[in-house]
Amino acid sequence: MELLNNLALGFATALSLQNLMYAFFGVLIGTLIGVLPGIGPVATLAMLLPTTYALEPTSALIMLAGIYYGAQYGGSTTAILVNLPGESSSVVTCLDGYQMARRGRAGAALGLAAIGSFIAGSFATVLVAAFAPPLTELAFKFGPAEYFSLMVLGLIGAVVLASGSLIKAIGMILLGLLLGLVGTDVNSGVARFSFDIPELADGLGFVAVAMGVFGFAEIIANLAQRGHREVFTSKVGPLLPTGKDMKQAAPAIARGTLLGSILGILPGGGALLASFASYTLEKKIAGAKADPPFGQGNLRGVAGPESANNAGAQTSFIPMLTLGIPPNAVMALMIGAMTIHNIQPGPQVMTSNPSLFWGLIASMWIGNLMLVILNLPLIGLWIQLLKVPYRWLYPAILTFCCIGVYSINNNVFDIYITAGFGMLGYVFYKLKCEPAPLILGFILGPMMEENLRRAMLLSRGDPTTFFTRPLSLTLLLIAAVLLLIVLAPSIQRKRGEAFQEAD
Amino acid sequence: MIKHQRDFWSGIMFAVVGLGFVVFAREYDMGTAQRMGPAFFPTVLGGLLALLGLVVAFKGWFKRAVDGTDGTVGSFDWRAVGFVLGAVIVYALLLKPMGLVVAMVVLIAIASLGSHEFRWIEIVALSAVMGLIVWAVFIYGLKLTIPVWPAFLVN
Repeated sequence: MELLNNLALGFATALSLQNLMYAFFGVLIGTLIGVLPGIGPVATLAMLLPTTYALEPTSALIMLAGIYYGAQYGGSTTAILVNLPGESSSVVTCLDGYQMARRGRAGAALGLAAIGSFIAGSFATVLVAAFAPPLTELAFKFGPAEYFSLMVLGLIGAVVLASGSLIKAIGMILLGLLLGLVGTDVNSGVARFSFDIPELADGLGFVAVAMGVFGFAEIIANLAQRGHREVFTSKVGPLLPTGKDMKQAAPAIARGTLLGSILGILPGGGALLASFASYTLEKKIAGAKADPPFGQGNLRGVAGPESANNAGAQTSFIPMLTLGIPPNAVMALMIGAMTIHNIQPGPQVMTSNPSLFWGLIASMWIGNLMLVILNLPLIGLWIQLLKVPYRWLYPAILTFCCIGVYSINNNVFDIYITAGFGMLGYVFYKLKCEPAPLILGFILGPMMEENLRRAMLLSRGDPTTFFTRPLSLTLLLIAAVLLLIVLAPSIQRKRGEAFQEAD
Repeated sequence: MIKHQRDFWSGIMFAVVGLGFVVFAREYDMGTAQRMGPAFFPTVLGGLLALLGLVVAFKGWFKRAVDGTDGTVGSFDWRAVGFVLGAVIVYALLLKPMGLVVAMVVLIAIASLGSHEFRWIEIVALSAVMGLIVWAVFIYGLKLTIPVWPAFLVN
C-alpha cells in the first residue's frame, strides 16, 4: 500500500505542531479576508503572499493552501448573508443562499455549505492522493510538444468557462499571453517591450498584474456603484441543518462533489466552472417540481454548488502538482510561491520533495476540517465583520495590497504597475471583458513560447510534430472538440442561459 | 451608429494593442521556424489579437447586444478612479523618502476621500488602527525590510 505510506508521510508532516499552526492561521486569515465582499481568493492570496516569505517552503505552501480554502469558504458566507459574492465561484450561492437567508434560514444555508464543502473536500483530497502519482508518471513522458498542446487545451478550457462573450474571452487570453512576454527573452537575452525601463526588463510581476486587475479594479467599481447592502444578521437561525434538510441535500452534495472533482482537474477549470455546472445540473434534475423553486431558496441550490466548488478547488491542485502547469489563476499564484521558495514546479517535486508534496495533500484534509470547526462557531464574528462599513475596509485593503506588492521585490515600481493595471481592470470591467482568462494567459505566455521553441527546435522546424506525436495529438483533439462543442449553436444558447441566471 | 458600444470598443482595444505588439516586435529578430527569434511569438499573437479585435469591433458595429442591455459602456467614475489610484501612486512616491508610516497615513486619507461618506475623525482612527496592525504583522512579525520612518529622521 504505497498510497497509505505516502499519506502517512504526508500526515506526519502536516500534523507537526508548526504546520498545524500555519494551516490554522491560513484558514483563519483566508476566511477573514474572504468574507469581505469583493476580494476573491486571487486577491487574498496575492495580498498575503509576502506573509509566507519567511517560512520554510512546506509551511508556506500549507498556509497558502489554507488561505485559499478559507477565502473560498468566506466568499460563500458573504454570498449567503449579503447577497454579494465574495468571489466569482460563489456567484451561484447568492441565488438560493440569500433567499434562504431572507426566509430566516441563513443558519441552515451556512451549515449546509460547510458540511457539503467538508464532504467534497475530503473526497477530493483522496482523489488528489490517488491520482497524483500516476499522472506524475505520465508527465515524465511529456516533451515540449506535449506541454505546448496541453497549454493550448488549458487556454481553450479557460475560454469555455468564461461567462461572457466567447470571442472576447479569446481576446483576453491573447492579451494575457502577450503581456506575459514583456521582459527579457530567455533564449536571446533581448529585453522585449521594455521601452528601456530597467524594471520592465524583468517582466511584469504576476502579483502586481493580478492585484491591479482583480483587487484595485474591484475597489473602484464598488466605490462607483455606491450600492446598498442588506446584511441578514439579526436572525441567522440554527446552524445545524435538520435531518430532513440533510436528506434532501445529500444527493446534491454527492453529485456536486463528483462533478466538481472532475471539472477541477480540467485545465482552465476549477471552482468557478464547478459551481456553475453543479447549479445547472441540480436545477435540471429538480425540474419544475422543485419546492421551493430554484432561485427562491432551494437548499440543493446551495449544497450542490458549494460542494462542487470546494471539490474543484481541491482537484485543481492536480495539474499544478503533477505537471507544474496552473489550471487557473489561484494555482498560478501557488506556482509563483513555489518558485519564490526555489522549488521548480513540475513532476519532479513528488520525488525530490516528498514531504512537501504529501504534506500539502494531507494538509488539504486538515484544512477542510479546520474550516468546519472554525466557521460554525465563529459565524457570529464573520457577521460582525460584514457590518464593518466599506468606507473603512477599502483603505485598509489598499494598504495591505501596497505593502504586499512592494515587499515582493522591495521595489516601488511594482506599485505603479499595479496602479496601471487597476486602471486597465476598471476599463475591462466597463467593457465587460473577463479578467480571469487574461491572468491565465499571462502565466502561460512565457511557458508556451519556451515549449513551442523547444518543440520546433527538436523537430527541425517541422510544425507537424504537434500532430504526429500521439499524446500531443490527443490533447489538441480534445481542445478542438471542446471548442466545437462550445461553438455549436444549441450549446451556445444553453451556455448563455446558464450564465444569465447567475447575473 | 454603433449598435453595441462595449463590444465595439473592446474590439478597438484588442486591435490597437495587438498591432502595437506587432509593430514593436519588428525591432527584434524573427528567426527561422527551427530557431525562432524573439519576435516570432509576439508577432503571431499580436497579429491574431489585432484580427480578432477587428472582428469584435465589426460585430459591435452591426449587432445589438444579446444580453438584454443596451450595450453602452456607461460613464467612468473618474472620482473613484482618481482617489483610489491617486492614493496608491502618492503612497509609492512617499514610501522611500518618507517611510511607511507617513505614506500609509496619506494613502488612507486620500483613498477615504474617494468615498461619498468619509469623516475626518474616522480617517484618523483608521490610520491609527492600521498603523498598529501593519507594524505588528509586517514589521515586528514578518520582519519585512520596509523603511518605516522618514529617511531624514533615521540618518
